[in-house]
Amino acid sequence: MAERDWKECIKSLKGVVLDMCGVLYDSGEGGGVPIPGSVEAVKRIKASDLQLRFCTNETQATREKFVAKLKRMGFDISVSEVFSPAPAALAILKERNLRPHLLVYDDVLPEFEDIDKTDPNCVVIGDAADKFSYQNLNDAFRVLIQLEKPVLFSLGRGRYYKETDGLKLDVGVYMKALEYACDVEAEVVGKPAPMFFQSALTDMGIQPQEALMIGDDLINDVGGAQNCGMRGLQVRTGKYRPSDERHPTVTADGYVDNLAEAVDIILKYRGQ
Amino acid sequence: MFRTHNTQKNHWRPNEIEAGVQETNIRSAAVGVMAMRQALKAVLIDLSGTLHIEDTVVSGAPEALSRLRESQLAVKFVTNTTKESKRSLLDRLQRLNFSIQEQEIFTSLTAARSLVEQRSLRPLLLLEDSALEDFTGIETSNPNAVVVGLAPNHFNYQTLNKAFRVVLDGAPLIAVHKARYYKRKDGLALGPGPFVTGLEYATDTHATVVGKPEKTFFLQALRDLNCKPEEAIMIGDDARDDVGGAQNAGLRGILVKTGKYRAGDENKISPLPLATCADFPQAVDYILEQLI
Repeated sequence: MAERDWKECIKSLKGVVLDMCGVLYDSGEGGGVPIPGSVEAVKRIKASDLQLRFCTNETQATREKFVAKLKRMGFDISVSEVFSPAPAALAILKERNLRPHLLVYDDVLPEFEDIDKTDPNCVVIGDAADKFSYQNLNDAFRVLIQLEKPVLFSLGRGRYYKETDGLKLDVGVYMKALEYACDVEAEVVGKPAPMFFQSALTDMGIQPQEALMIGDDLINDVGGAQNCGMRGLQVRTGKYRPSDERHPTVTADGYVDNLAEAVDIILKYRGQ
Repeated sequence: MFRTHNTQKNHWRPNEIEAGVQETNIRSAAVGVMAMRQALKAVLIDLSGTLHIEDTVVSGAPEALSRLRESQLAVKFVTNTTKESKRSLLDRLQRLNFSIQEQEIFTSLTAARSLVEQRSLRPLLLLEDSALEDFTGIETSNPNAVVVGLAPNHFNYQTLNKAFRVVLDGAPLIAVHKARYYKRKDGLALGPGPFVTGLEYATDTHATVVGKPEKTFFLQALRDLNCKPEEAIMIGDDARDDVGGAQNAGLRGILVKTGKYRAGDENKISPLPLATCADFPQAVDYILEQLI
Protein backbone atom coordinates (compact mmCIF):
# COMPACT_ATOMS: atom_id res chain seq x y z
CA MET A 1 0.00 0.00 0.00
CA ALA A 2 2.82 2.35 0.93
CA GLU A 3 4.40 1.59 -2.43
CA ARG A 4 1.32 2.68 -4.37
CA ASP A 5 1.31 5.90 -2.32
CA TRP A 6 4.76 6.98 -3.34
CA LYS A 7 4.14 6.21 -7.00
CA GLU A 8 0.97 8.29 -6.90
CA CYS A 9 2.93 11.28 -5.63
CA ILE A 10 5.49 11.09 -8.45
CA LYS A 11 3.48 13.25 -10.86
CA SER A 12 3.36 16.17 -8.40
CA LEU A 13 7.07 16.02 -7.57
CA LYS A 14 9.20 19.08 -8.18
CA GLY A 15 12.44 18.04 -6.56
CA VAL A 16 14.50 15.09 -5.38
CA VAL A 17 16.95 15.05 -2.46
CA LEU A 18 19.58 12.33 -2.48
CA ASP A 19 21.62 10.96 0.36
CA MET A 20 25.14 10.25 -0.88
CA CYS A 21 27.04 7.53 0.97
CA GLY A 22 25.23 4.21 0.45
CA VAL A 23 23.08 5.64 -2.37
CA LEU A 24 25.64 7.03 -4.82
CA TYR A 25 28.67 5.06 -3.62
CA ASP A 26 29.99 2.71 -0.95
CA SER A 27 32.78 4.28 1.06
CA GLY A 28 35.96 2.52 2.07
CA GLU A 29 39.67 2.28 1.39
CA GLY A 30 40.73 4.50 -1.50
CA GLY A 31 37.65 6.72 -1.21
CA GLY A 32 35.02 4.18 -2.18
CA VAL A 33 33.31 2.85 -5.29
CA PRO A 34 30.17 4.00 -7.14
CA ILE A 35 27.08 1.82 -6.71
CA PRO A 36 26.28 0.36 -10.18
CA GLY A 37 23.83 2.54 -12.12
CA SER A 38 24.06 5.54 -9.78
CA VAL A 39 26.29 7.75 -11.94
CA GLU A 40 23.83 7.31 -14.80
CA ALA A 41 20.81 7.80 -12.48
CA VAL A 42 22.06 11.22 -11.32
CA LYS A 43 22.55 12.27 -14.95
CA ARG A 44 19.00 11.19 -15.80
CA ILE A 45 17.44 13.23 -12.96
CA LYS A 46 19.46 16.25 -14.02
CA ALA A 47 18.25 15.83 -17.62
CA SER A 48 14.61 15.73 -16.40
CA ASP A 49 12.44 18.64 -15.22
CA LEU A 50 13.10 17.75 -11.56
CA GLN A 51 15.38 19.76 -9.30
CA LEU A 52 18.11 17.87 -7.49
CA ARG A 53 19.99 18.47 -4.23
CA PHE A 54 22.20 16.30 -2.07
CA CYS A 55 21.93 16.05 1.73
CA THR A 56 24.82 14.29 3.40
CA ASN A 57 25.99 13.81 6.94
CA GLU A 58 29.50 13.37 5.58
CA THR A 59 31.92 14.98 8.02
CA GLN A 60 35.19 13.33 7.10
CA ALA A 61 36.19 15.95 4.54
CA THR A 62 35.43 19.53 3.60
CA ARG A 63 32.56 19.90 1.17
CA GLU A 64 34.99 20.89 -1.60
CA LYS A 65 37.16 17.79 -1.20
CA PHE A 66 34.15 15.57 -0.87
CA VAL A 67 32.56 16.83 -4.08
CA ALA A 68 35.91 16.50 -5.88
CA LYS A 69 36.02 12.83 -4.82
CA LEU A 70 32.55 12.19 -6.25
CA LYS A 71 33.46 13.92 -9.49
CA ARG A 72 36.45 11.58 -9.80
CA MET A 73 33.99 8.67 -9.46
CA GLY A 74 32.13 10.12 -12.45
CA PHE A 75 29.24 11.94 -10.74
CA ASP A 76 27.88 15.17 -12.23
CA ILE A 77 27.72 17.24 -9.06
CA SER A 78 28.73 20.69 -7.80
CA VAL A 79 29.49 22.11 -4.33
CA SER A 80 26.46 24.42 -4.34
CA GLU A 81 24.12 21.41 -4.66
CA VAL A 82 25.49 19.69 -1.55
CA PHE A 83 24.24 20.31 2.01
CA SER A 84 26.55 19.01 4.75
CA PRO A 85 26.60 19.53 8.54
CA ALA A 86 29.96 21.24 9.10
CA PRO A 87 29.14 24.52 7.29
CA ALA A 88 25.71 24.51 9.00
CA ALA A 89 27.34 24.04 12.43
CA LEU A 90 29.83 26.82 11.77
CA ALA A 91 26.96 29.21 11.05
CA ILE A 92 25.29 28.29 14.37
CA LEU A 93 28.51 28.69 16.37
CA LYS A 94 29.10 32.14 14.92
CA GLU A 95 25.52 33.20 15.49
CA ARG A 96 25.67 32.15 19.16
CA ASN A 97 29.23 33.34 19.81
CA LEU A 98 30.41 29.89 20.87
CA ARG A 99 34.01 28.68 21.03
CA PRO A 100 34.10 24.99 20.18
CA HIS A 101 36.23 22.11 21.35
CA LEU A 102 36.32 20.02 18.17
CA LEU A 103 36.21 16.23 18.11
CA VAL A 104 36.06 15.80 14.34
CA TYR A 105 38.02 14.12 11.58
CA ASP A 106 41.25 15.99 10.74
CA ASP A 107 40.21 16.52 7.10
CA VAL A 108 37.12 18.52 8.12
CA LEU A 109 39.05 20.90 10.41
CA PRO A 110 39.56 23.51 7.63
CA GLU A 111 35.78 24.18 7.73
CA PHE A 112 36.31 25.55 11.28
CA GLU A 113 39.57 27.38 10.55
CA ASP A 114 38.42 30.91 11.25
CA ILE A 115 36.58 30.43 14.56
CA ASP A 116 38.00 31.08 18.05
CA LYS A 117 38.68 27.78 19.78
CA THR A 118 40.41 29.04 22.94
CA ASP A 119 38.83 28.35 26.35
CA PRO A 120 36.03 26.29 24.75
CA ASN A 121 32.44 26.64 25.94
CA CYS A 122 30.88 23.90 23.83
CA VAL A 123 31.82 20.65 22.10
CA VAL A 124 31.27 19.80 18.43
CA ILE A 125 31.45 16.11 17.66
CA GLY A 126 31.58 14.71 14.13
CA ASP A 127 32.42 11.32 12.67
CA ALA A 128 36.04 11.28 13.80
CA ALA A 129 36.37 7.58 12.79
CA ASP A 130 39.73 6.16 13.87
CA LYS A 131 40.39 9.38 15.76
CA PHE A 132 37.76 8.23 18.28
CA SER A 133 39.79 7.03 21.25
CA TYR A 134 39.17 6.90 24.98
CA GLN A 135 41.57 9.81 25.41
CA ASN A 136 39.85 12.02 22.81
CA LEU A 137 36.38 11.27 24.14
CA ASN A 138 37.56 11.90 27.68
CA ASP A 139 38.98 15.28 26.64
CA ALA A 140 35.59 16.23 25.17
CA PHE A 141 33.83 14.88 28.29
CA ARG A 142 35.99 17.02 30.58
CA VAL A 143 35.21 20.17 28.61
CA LEU A 144 31.49 19.43 28.92
CA ILE A 145 31.39 18.35 32.56
CA GLN A 146 33.10 21.51 33.81
CA LEU A 147 30.56 23.75 32.04
CA GLU A 148 27.66 24.96 34.13
CA LYS A 149 25.31 24.07 31.29
CA PRO A 150 27.05 21.70 28.86
CA VAL A 151 26.42 22.42 25.17
CA LEU A 152 27.04 19.56 22.76
CA PHE A 153 26.58 19.72 18.98
CA SER A 154 26.57 16.53 16.96
CA LEU A 155 27.13 16.55 13.20
CA GLY A 156 24.43 13.97 12.46
CA ARG A 157 23.29 11.22 14.77
CA GLY A 158 23.71 8.13 12.57
CA ARG A 159 24.20 4.74 14.20
CA TYR A 160 26.47 3.11 11.65
CA TYR A 161 27.36 3.03 7.98
CA LYS A 162 28.82 0.57 5.57
CA GLU A 163 32.35 0.68 4.26
CA THR A 164 33.77 -1.78 1.76
CA ASP A 165 35.31 -3.76 4.65
CA GLY A 166 32.18 -3.82 6.81
CA LEU A 167 29.85 -1.78 9.02
CA LYS A 168 31.37 1.06 11.06
CA LEU A 169 30.00 2.97 14.06
CA ASP A 170 28.84 6.47 13.20
CA VAL A 171 28.94 9.71 15.19
CA GLY A 172 25.58 9.09 16.89
CA VAL A 173 27.11 6.37 19.03
CA TYR A 174 29.75 8.69 20.45
CA MET A 175 27.17 11.46 20.78
CA LYS A 176 25.04 9.09 22.91
CA ALA A 177 28.07 8.22 25.02
CA LEU A 178 28.72 11.88 25.83
CA GLU A 179 25.02 12.58 26.36
CA TYR A 180 24.83 9.77 28.91
CA ALA A 181 28.08 10.75 30.65
CA CYS A 182 27.08 14.41 31.08
CA ASP A 183 23.31 13.98 31.28
CA VAL A 184 22.75 16.39 28.37
CA GLU A 185 20.91 16.23 25.07
CA ALA A 186 22.98 17.05 22.00
CA GLU A 187 21.80 19.53 19.40
CA VAL A 188 21.93 17.64 16.12
CA VAL A 189 23.15 19.50 13.05
CA GLY A 190 22.52 17.52 9.86
CA LYS A 191 20.04 14.74 9.17
CA PRO A 192 17.53 13.99 10.73
CA ALA A 193 17.11 17.59 11.98
CA PRO A 194 14.14 19.12 10.08
CA MET A 195 16.05 22.42 9.72
CA PHE A 196 18.66 20.64 7.64
CA PHE A 197 16.19 19.21 5.11
CA GLN A 198 14.37 22.52 5.05
CA SER A 199 17.52 24.35 3.97
CA ALA A 200 17.70 22.15 0.84
CA LEU A 201 13.98 22.69 0.13
CA THR A 202 14.32 26.46 0.55
CA ASP A 203 17.25 26.41 -1.85
CA MET A 204 15.04 24.68 -4.46
CA GLY A 205 12.10 26.98 -3.67
CA ILE A 206 9.66 24.10 -3.20
CA GLN A 207 7.34 22.76 -0.49
CA PRO A 208 8.10 19.55 1.48
CA GLN A 209 5.19 17.64 -0.10
CA GLU A 210 6.69 18.37 -3.53
CA ALA A 211 9.96 16.66 -2.65
CA LEU A 212 11.17 13.07 -2.37
CA MET A 213 14.13 11.98 -0.25
CA ILE A 214 16.02 8.87 -1.30
CA GLY A 215 18.38 7.31 1.21
CA ASP A 216 19.76 4.07 2.66
CA ASP A 217 19.27 5.12 6.30
CA LEU A 218 15.73 4.40 7.45
CA ILE A 219 15.85 6.61 10.53
CA ASN A 220 17.93 9.59 9.42
CA ASP A 221 17.09 9.82 5.71
CA VAL A 222 13.59 8.38 5.43
CA GLY A 223 12.24 9.14 8.92
CA GLY A 224 13.91 12.56 9.03
CA ALA A 225 12.46 13.57 5.64
CA GLN A 226 9.00 12.29 6.59
CA ASN A 227 9.07 14.33 9.81
CA CYS A 228 9.77 17.34 7.65
CA GLY A 229 6.69 16.62 5.43
CA MET A 230 8.58 15.02 2.54
CA ARG A 231 8.18 11.51 1.14
CA GLY A 232 11.00 9.10 1.96
CA LEU A 233 12.17 6.21 -0.18
CA GLN A 234 14.67 3.63 1.04
CA VAL A 235 17.19 1.97 -1.29
CA ARG A 236 18.32 -1.59 -0.61
CA THR A 237 21.98 -0.58 -0.88
CA GLY A 238 24.52 0.77 1.59
CA LYS A 239 23.58 0.17 5.20
CA TYR A 240 20.11 -1.19 4.31
CA ARG A 241 19.15 -4.30 6.27
CA PRO A 242 16.07 -6.45 5.52
CA SER A 243 14.79 -5.85 9.06
CA ASP A 244 14.41 -2.13 8.16
CA GLU A 245 11.24 -3.09 6.25
CA ARG A 246 9.68 -4.30 9.52
CA HIS A 247 10.79 -1.37 11.70
CA PRO A 248 8.34 -0.67 14.55
CA THR A 249 8.19 3.13 14.19
CA VAL A 250 9.47 4.18 10.74
CA THR A 251 7.96 2.92 7.49
CA ALA A 252 9.35 4.19 4.20
CA ASP A 253 6.92 5.39 1.55
CA GLY A 254 8.54 2.81 -0.69
CA TYR A 255 11.54 0.52 -1.14
CA VAL A 256 13.65 0.11 -4.27
CA ASP A 257 16.65 -2.07 -4.98
CA ASN A 258 18.91 0.88 -5.79
CA LEU A 259 18.93 4.47 -7.02
CA ALA A 260 18.81 3.34 -10.67
CA GLU A 261 15.52 1.52 -10.05
CA ALA A 262 14.08 4.55 -8.21
CA VAL A 263 14.91 6.83 -11.13
CA ASP A 264 13.50 4.31 -13.65
CA ILE A 265 10.16 4.31 -11.80
CA ILE A 266 10.08 8.09 -11.27
CA LEU A 267 10.79 8.90 -14.90
CA LYS A 268 8.40 6.21 -16.18
CA TYR A 269 5.50 7.58 -14.08
CA ARG A 270 6.28 11.11 -15.25
CA GLY A 271 6.20 9.86 -18.85
CA GLN A 272 9.81 10.83 -19.50
CA MET B 1 21.77 5.52 68.01
CA PHE B 2 19.71 4.05 65.18
CA ARG B 3 17.24 5.86 63.10
CA THR B 4 14.60 3.47 61.89
CA HIS B 5 11.88 4.53 59.55
CA ASN B 6 8.98 2.61 61.03
CA THR B 7 7.00 5.76 61.55
CA GLN B 8 6.75 6.16 57.79
CA LYS B 9 4.14 3.50 57.35
CA ASN B 10 3.34 4.18 53.74
CA HIS B 11 6.89 3.44 52.77
CA TRP B 12 7.43 0.78 55.29
CA ARG B 13 4.45 -1.51 55.03
CA PRO B 14 5.02 -2.74 51.48
CA ASN B 15 8.30 -4.14 52.75
CA GLU B 16 6.53 -6.14 55.39
CA ILE B 17 4.15 -7.53 52.84
CA GLU B 18 7.07 -8.59 50.68
CA ALA B 19 8.68 -10.21 53.69
CA GLY B 20 6.81 -13.43 53.13
CA VAL B 21 3.55 -12.68 54.86
CA GLN B 22 1.25 -12.08 51.88
CA GLU B 23 -0.54 -15.38 52.33
CA THR B 24 -1.80 -14.42 55.77
CA ASN B 25 -2.92 -11.06 54.43
CA ILE B 26 -1.56 -9.36 57.53
CA ARG B 27 -1.46 -5.60 57.32
CA SER B 28 -0.08 -5.00 60.81
CA ALA B 29 3.42 -3.61 60.83
CA ALA B 30 4.08 -5.09 64.26
CA VAL B 31 3.33 -8.62 63.11
CA GLY B 32 5.37 -7.91 60.01
CA VAL B 33 8.41 -7.20 62.16
CA MET B 34 7.97 -10.55 63.86
CA ALA B 35 7.75 -12.28 60.51
CA MET B 36 10.98 -10.58 59.53
CA ARG B 37 12.73 -11.55 62.71
CA GLN B 38 12.07 -15.19 62.06
CA ALA B 39 13.24 -14.95 58.50
CA LEU B 40 16.67 -13.34 58.50
CA LYS B 41 19.33 -15.76 57.24
CA ALA B 42 21.92 -13.74 55.37
CA VAL B 43 23.65 -10.38 55.32
CA LEU B 44 25.11 -8.87 52.15
CA ILE B 45 27.82 -6.28 52.79
CA ASP B 46 29.22 -3.66 50.45
CA LEU B 47 33.00 -3.22 50.55
CA SER B 48 34.35 0.19 49.56
CA GLY B 49 32.76 2.96 51.65
CA THR B 50 31.19 0.47 54.07
CA LEU B 51 34.05 -1.68 55.46
CA HIS B 52 36.89 0.53 54.30
CA ILE B 53 37.60 3.81 52.51
CA GLU B 54 40.53 3.22 50.19
CA ASP B 55 43.23 1.81 52.52
CA THR B 56 41.62 2.98 55.76
CA VAL B 57 39.40 0.60 57.69
CA VAL B 58 36.07 1.89 59.08
CA SER B 59 36.68 2.02 62.82
CA GLY B 60 35.49 -1.15 64.57
CA ALA B 61 34.43 -2.84 61.34
CA PRO B 62 36.61 -6.02 61.59
CA GLU B 63 35.34 -6.66 65.14
CA ALA B 64 31.75 -6.00 64.11
CA LEU B 65 32.14 -8.50 61.27
CA SER B 66 33.34 -11.12 63.79
CA ARG B 67 30.29 -10.45 65.99
CA LEU B 68 28.04 -10.88 62.98
CA ARG B 69 29.69 -14.19 62.09
CA GLU B 70 29.08 -15.53 65.62
CA SER B 71 25.34 -15.06 65.07
CA GLN B 72 25.15 -17.91 62.50
CA LEU B 73 23.94 -15.52 59.80
CA ALA B 74 25.43 -16.21 56.39
CA VAL B 75 27.62 -13.37 55.14
CA LYS B 76 28.53 -12.32 51.62
CA PHE B 77 30.48 -9.34 50.34
CA VAL B 78 29.07 -7.69 47.25
CA THR B 79 30.65 -4.97 45.15
CA ASN B 80 30.56 -3.33 41.75
CA THR B 81 34.00 -3.62 40.31
CA THR B 82 35.14 -3.72 36.73
CA LYS B 83 38.88 -3.57 37.14
CA GLU B 84 39.77 -5.51 40.28
CA SER B 85 39.70 -9.28 40.35
CA LYS B 86 38.36 -11.10 43.43
CA ARG B 87 41.92 -12.03 44.31
CA SER B 88 43.05 -8.40 44.50
CA LEU B 89 39.97 -7.36 46.50
CA LEU B 90 40.66 -10.20 48.94
CA ASP B 91 44.31 -9.18 49.32
CA ARG B 92 43.28 -5.69 50.34
CA LEU B 93 40.60 -6.84 52.82
CA GLN B 94 42.94 -9.29 54.49
CA ARG B 95 45.58 -6.59 54.75
CA LEU B 96 42.96 -4.50 56.60
CA ASN B 97 42.41 -7.41 59.06
CA PHE B 98 39.03 -8.61 57.86
CA SER B 99 38.54 -12.35 58.05
CA ILE B 100 37.06 -13.08 54.63
CA GLN B 101 37.23 -16.05 52.24
CA GLU B 102 37.49 -15.63 48.48
CA GLN B 103 34.24 -17.55 47.87
CA GLU B 104 32.37 -15.05 50.07
CA ILE B 105 33.06 -12.25 47.63
CA PHE B 106 30.53 -11.63 44.87
CA THR B 107 31.37 -8.88 42.39
CA SER B 108 29.80 -7.55 39.22
CA LEU B 109 32.56 -9.44 37.40
CA THR B 110 31.48 -12.66 39.14
CA ALA B 111 27.91 -11.92 38.10
CA ALA B 112 29.00 -11.38 34.50
CA ARG B 113 30.94 -14.64 34.55
CA SER B 114 28.05 -16.66 35.95
CA LEU B 115 25.69 -15.22 33.35
CA VAL B 116 28.17 -16.19 30.64
CA GLU B 117 28.48 -19.71 32.08
CA GLN B 118 24.74 -20.21 32.56
CA ARG B 119 24.08 -19.34 28.95
CA SER B 120 27.20 -21.10 27.58
CA LEU B 121 28.35 -17.91 25.87
CA ARG B 122 31.73 -17.21 24.25
CA PRO B 123 32.23 -13.54 25.11
CA LEU B 124 34.31 -10.83 23.50
CA LEU B 125 35.70 -9.32 26.72
CA LEU B 126 36.15 -5.54 26.83
CA LEU B 127 37.97 -5.69 30.17
CA GLU B 128 41.31 -4.53 31.46
CA ASP B 129 43.94 -7.21 32.10
CA SER B 130 43.48 -6.87 35.88
CA ALA B 131 39.88 -8.06 35.54
CA LEU B 132 40.51 -10.84 33.02
CA GLU B 133 41.71 -13.11 35.83
CA ASP B 134 38.08 -13.59 36.87
CA PHE B 135 37.32 -15.02 33.42
CA THR B 136 40.07 -17.64 33.37
CA GLY B 137 38.91 -20.76 31.53
CA ILE B 138 36.06 -19.08 29.65
CA GLU B 139 36.04 -19.84 25.92
CA THR B 140 36.37 -16.60 23.96
CA SER B 141 37.05 -17.68 20.37
CA ASN B 142 34.45 -16.90 17.70
CA PRO B 143 32.49 -14.70 20.14
CA ASN B 144 28.70 -14.79 20.44
CA ALA B 145 28.40 -12.26 23.29
CA VAL B 146 30.04 -8.99 24.37
CA VAL B 147 30.95 -8.19 27.97
CA VAL B 148 31.78 -4.53 28.67
CA GLY B 149 33.59 -3.39 31.80
CA LEU B 150 35.77 -0.37 32.43
CA ALA B 151 38.37 -0.80 29.73
CA PRO B 152 39.99 2.45 28.58
CA ASN B 153 42.51 0.43 26.55
CA HIS B 154 39.68 -1.20 24.58
CA PHE B 155 37.40 1.79 24.17
CA ASN B 156 38.73 2.73 20.76
CA TYR B 157 37.28 2.81 17.26
CA GLN B 158 38.52 -0.60 16.12
CA THR B 159 37.49 -2.58 19.19
CA LEU B 160 34.13 -0.85 19.51
CA ASN B 161 33.42 -1.55 15.81
CA LYS B 162 34.23 -5.20 16.42
CA ALA B 163 31.97 -5.37 19.48
CA PHE B 164 29.23 -3.57 17.55
CA ARG B 165 29.27 -6.10 14.71
CA VAL B 166 29.03 -9.02 17.12
CA VAL B 167 26.00 -7.47 18.88
CA LEU B 168 24.37 -6.45 15.59
CA ASP B 169 24.54 -10.12 14.57
CA GLY B 170 22.31 -10.89 17.54
CA ALA B 171 24.81 -11.55 20.34
CA PRO B 172 23.78 -10.34 23.81
CA LEU B 173 25.44 -7.21 25.21
CA ILE B 174 26.36 -7.62 28.88
CA ALA B 175 27.41 -4.60 30.96
CA VAL B 176 29.37 -5.14 34.16
CA HIS B 177 27.74 -1.90 35.27
CA LYS B 178 26.74 1.43 33.71
CA ALA B 179 28.55 4.09 35.76
CA ARG B 180 28.78 7.40 33.92
CA TYR B 181 32.24 8.40 35.15
CA TYR B 182 34.63 7.93 38.01
CA LYS B 183 37.31 9.93 39.75
CA ARG B 184 40.91 9.39 38.78
CA LYS B 185 43.99 11.06 40.22
CA ASP B 186 44.14 13.40 37.21
CA GLY B 187 40.42 14.23 37.24
CA LEU B 188 37.11 12.76 36.12
CA ALA B 189 37.18 9.99 33.56
CA LEU B 190 34.51 8.21 31.52
CA GLY B 191 33.13 4.98 33.00
CA PRO B 192 31.76 1.99 31.10
CA GLY B 193 28.20 3.41 30.99
CA PRO B 194 28.73 5.84 28.08
CA PHE B 195 30.25 3.12 25.88
CA VAL B 196 27.51 0.63 26.76
CA THR B 197 24.92 3.31 25.96
CA GLY B 198 26.60 3.99 22.61
CA LEU B 199 26.56 0.30 21.67
CA GLU B 200 22.92 0.03 22.76
CA TYR B 201 22.06 2.94 20.49
CA ALA B 202 24.02 1.53 17.54
CA THR B 203 22.34 -1.86 17.74
CA ASP B 204 18.92 -0.81 19.04
CA THR B 205 19.18 -3.26 21.93
CA HIS B 206 19.29 -3.08 25.70
CA ALA B 207 22.32 -4.34 27.55
CA THR B 208 21.88 -6.82 30.35
CA VAL B 209 23.41 -4.96 33.30
CA VAL B 210 24.74 -7.39 35.89
CA GLY B 211 26.08 -5.17 38.69
CA LYS B 212 24.28 -3.31 41.45
CA PRO B 213 21.55 -2.00 41.50
CA GLU B 214 20.16 -4.73 39.23
CA LYS B 215 17.76 -7.19 40.81
CA THR B 216 19.53 -10.19 39.29
CA PHE B 217 22.80 -9.16 40.96
CA PHE B 218 21.31 -9.52 44.43
CA LEU B 219 19.45 -12.71 43.56
CA GLN B 220 22.62 -14.29 42.15
CA ALA B 221 24.60 -13.28 45.23
CA LEU B 222 22.06 -15.16 47.37
CA ARG B 223 21.86 -18.23 45.15
CA ASP B 224 24.45 -20.45 46.81
CA LEU B 225 23.33 -19.34 50.30
CA ASN B 226 20.02 -21.11 49.74
CA CYS B 227 18.25 -18.02 50.97
CA LYS B 228 15.20 -16.19 49.69
CA PRO B 229 15.43 -12.41 49.11
CA GLU B 230 13.10 -11.65 52.00
CA GLU B 231 15.42 -13.60 54.30
CA ALA B 232 18.38 -11.33 53.52
CA ILE B 233 19.51 -7.80 54.31
CA MET B 234 22.01 -5.54 52.52
CA ILE B 235 24.32 -3.04 54.23
CA GLY B 236 25.88 -0.31 52.10
CA ASP B 237 26.80 3.36 51.76
CA ASP B 238 25.11 3.93 48.38
CA ALA B 239 21.40 4.69 48.88
CA ARG B 240 20.45 3.96 45.28
CA ASP B 241 22.77 1.13 44.25
CA ASP B 242 23.07 -0.76 47.56
CA VAL B 243 19.91 -0.11 49.55
CA GLY B 244 17.45 0.82 46.80
CA GLY B 245 18.67 -2.01 44.58
CA ALA B 246 18.44 -4.58 47.38
CA GLN B 247 14.98 -3.44 48.43
CA ASN B 248 13.76 -3.58 44.82
CA ALA B 249 14.96 -7.18 44.69
CA GLY B 250 12.95 -8.05 47.82
CA LEU B 251 15.76 -7.82 50.36
CA ARG B 252 15.83 -5.35 53.21
CA GLY B 253 18.44 -2.58 53.28
CA ILE B 254 20.46 -0.62 55.81
CA LEU B 255 22.21 2.59 54.76
CA VAL B 256 25.45 3.53 56.54
CA LYS B 257 26.63 7.13 56.79
CA THR B 258 30.21 6.47 55.67
CA GLY B 259 31.96 6.44 52.28
CA LYS B 260 29.99 8.25 49.61
CA TYR B 261 27.02 8.95 51.94
CA ARG B 262 25.82 12.57 51.73
CA ALA B 263 23.34 14.15 54.17
CA GLY B 264 19.77 13.38 53.12
CA ASP B 265 20.65 10.34 50.95
CA GLU B 266 18.30 8.16 53.02
CA ASN B 267 15.33 10.19 51.75
CA LYS B 268 16.26 9.80 48.10
CA ILE B 269 14.89 6.30 47.64
CA SER B 270 11.41 4.88 47.93
CA PRO B 271 10.71 2.81 49.92
CA LEU B 272 13.05 4.34 52.50
CA PRO B 273 15.89 2.25 53.94
CA LEU B 274 14.75 -0.09 56.72
CA ALA B 275 17.31 1.74 58.88
CA THR B 276 20.04 4.32 58.57
CA CYS B 277 23.06 3.78 60.84
CA ALA B 278 26.15 5.82 61.58
CA ASP B 279 28.50 3.12 60.35
CA PHE B 280 28.95 -0.63 59.79
CA PRO B 281 29.41 -1.55 63.50
CA GLN B 282 26.13 0.17 64.37
CA ALA B 283 24.39 -1.58 61.49
CA VAL B 284 25.60 -4.92 62.86
CA ASP B 285 24.34 -4.03 66.36
CA TYR B 286 20.98 -3.08 64.86
CA ILE B 287 20.69 -6.46 63.13
CA LEU B 288 21.76 -8.42 66.21
CA GLU B 289 19.47 -6.50 68.57
CA GLN B 290 16.42 -5.90 66.39
CA LEU B 291 16.26 -8.51 63.68
CA ILE B 292 17.19 -11.86 65.25
